[in-house]
Amino acid sequence: MNIIERIMVEPLERFYEKLLIFLPNLLTSLILLVFGFLLGVFVKWAFNRIFKAVNLDGLSQKLGMRDALSRSGFKEPLSLIISRILKWLTIITFIIVAMQNLSIPTVEHLVERMFLYLPNIFIAALILILGYILGNFFGRAAIIASVNAGMASAGLIGKAIKFTVFLLSCTMALEQLGIGKDTIVIAFAIVFGGIVFAFSIAFGLGGKDIAGDFLRKKMREPKGENDEIDHL
Amino acid sequence: MKKAIRSDDIGSYMKSIGNADIIVGIPSYNNASTIGHVVRAVQAGFAKYFPEKKAVLVNSDGGSTDGTMDIVHDATIENLQSILLSHKVNPFIKIATPYHGIPGKGSAFRRIFEIADSLGVKACAVVDSDLRSITPEWIELLIKPVLESKFDYVAPLYQRHKYDGTITNSIVYPLTRALYGKRVRQPIGGDFGFSGRLAKFYLSQDVWETDVARYGIDIWMTTTAIANDFKVCQSYLGAKIHDPKDPGADLSAMLYQVAGSTFDLMGTYASVWRGISDSQSVPTFGFHYDVGLEPVTVNLERMIDRFCLGVQELGFVWKDVLPRSLFEFFADLTDVSQKDFAIPDEAWVDTIYSFALATHKKTLNREHLLRSLTPLYIGRVASFVMETRDSSSNEVEEKIETLCEVFENKKKTLLNDWG
Repeated sequence: MNIIERIMVEPLERFYEKLLIFLPNLLTSLILLVFGFLLGVFVKWAFNRIFKAVNLDGLSQKLGMRDALSRSGFKEPLSLIISRILKWLTIITFIIVAMQNLSIPTVEHLVERMFLYLPNIFIAALILILGYILGNFFGRAAIIASVNAGMASAGLIGKAIKFTVFLLSCTMALEQLGIGKDTIVIAFAIVFGGIVFAFSIAFGLGGKDIAGDFLRKKMREPKGENDEIDHL
Repeated sequence: MKKAIRSDDIGSYMKSIGNADIIVGIPSYNNASTIGHVVRAVQAGFAKYFPEKKAVLVNSDGGSTDGTMDIVHDATIENLQSILLSHKVNPFIKIATPYHGIPGKGSAFRRIFEIADSLGVKACAVVDSDLRSITPEWIELLIKPVLESKFDYVAPLYQRHKYDGTITNSIVYPLTRALYGKRVRQPIGGDFGFSGRLAKFYLSQDVWETDVARYGIDIWMTTTAIANDFKVCQSYLGAKIHDPKDPGADLSAMLYQVAGSTFDLMGTYASVWRGISDSQSVPTFGFHYDVGLEPVTVNLERMIDRFCLGVQELGFVWKDVLPRSLFEFFADLTDVSQKDFAIPDEAWVDTIYSFALATHKKTLNREHLLRSLTPLYIGRVASFVMETRDSSSNEVEEKIETLCEVFENKKKTLLNDWG
């Protein structure tokens, strides 16, 4: 009887006691999940209204993001996309809180690590978004300035600027995430330095004659070649 | 006077002057080679036409390093009999002072307005410091309509080469005329006369940290005067010949500031121009005469190349600004031969109205939008040069008149889209 009690009943009692402790936590977690989901839906609705009120879609159109998003397969307006992201961020946050509420050591440890890492993901995402916006902005500024300066390779210059800014933001984002920290910085330095070096060689050797012609023309530009119009 | 008045002691100097009747302002920046002539012309103008008035010449300088302000102090007509003057002349006062704030003509003008206001003058004029063709009569023509005919604003009227003043002829004049209904032929001429009352009004406006402080000042002065119902006229000054501009001067920056200011003013005065459907001429003073003008060199091939480069590379910017059919028209134009290259008035007016609307609706970043207009403007100039190659000055004026009519006829469309 004693043995049966120790083998069968006591563990069941302990399990029952643990279940009594666990069940309220589970119930709370379930409530948190439902609440998180409802809050997520509300957050999406509220932010969608706010973004529409501040005309975020107009701004994204101005910055060229709308076209870029539609080229990438996102047909919805930016306000809806960000609202959805915020909705899921809210839900995920509540899932994590709910999991932690279960008081399971392994899950707790995992959640703690996730929580500590989460800011890095946010910052990295922010850097990427900012890099994309700035890349587009500076790329467009460069292409307009190059066209106005009459440079035949204006398109190429614009794309190069856009790519460089975005590449820089990718490097920073990866560094923020702690992925191959030093490797990324070194790789970027090599790629960037390589591009500059390649340009130097191209201009120094390949374009020697073109550069010479250009400078000769500049030094003794024939009179009358320039427009003498007074525009104002 | 041998030394420049420093900005910190100008207040006490003003007090010692007390009041004045007229003031002529000369904004400058490194104009040592030309400003002496302008100062002497102004002095002669004061002596010849306003001998009994208390007159002040103000040089508002942007930090010249070539001794411009010293030249202003030293330049004088020693012997007034050399300009056939025998009557008694009141001595005139010269002030050369550096201005502060955003570097540009607008900030220089602000300083002049401040001095005019503190001296309580009745009439003011401003003239450019790089003028070679200014005569004493310019001072009479810019000041007298204010003093004697009670006008508040005197715009200049010049005889210019048919290819000169292309931003004026193709954008600013037709647009200002269509919008505000006054035919002021040189709204951004640069040499203006105005009343003390208007100078005070200009000073009270909160625009001195914007593009108005730079190239935008001229169109702002003209539009502000017209839109606020000040009495406006124009005076024929003859030829406008000035120092050759720096060939490296950035056309897109110029266009950005002038077009940007004009478009911004459309927003400010929308309620004024909404109700105007036609235009009237303004009173004109001065004796008209023909002047021989130096030929102007134009590189058409390069202009058309710039236009084509713009169409090829800036399509992604323009497609949000221009109507689809207009963009396609420009795209097709890149395939035609040079002799068939033409941007008709209708297409040009649609372009300008589209850019004005896009600026108003903030479709794109403002600077990107306005700077992207440059290749289209160059294309239009090329088209205009080809169209008027064999035309006389009068025929060119007729063509500009036709363009103005198209601007006026299409204003309804602009109004509908403005919102």
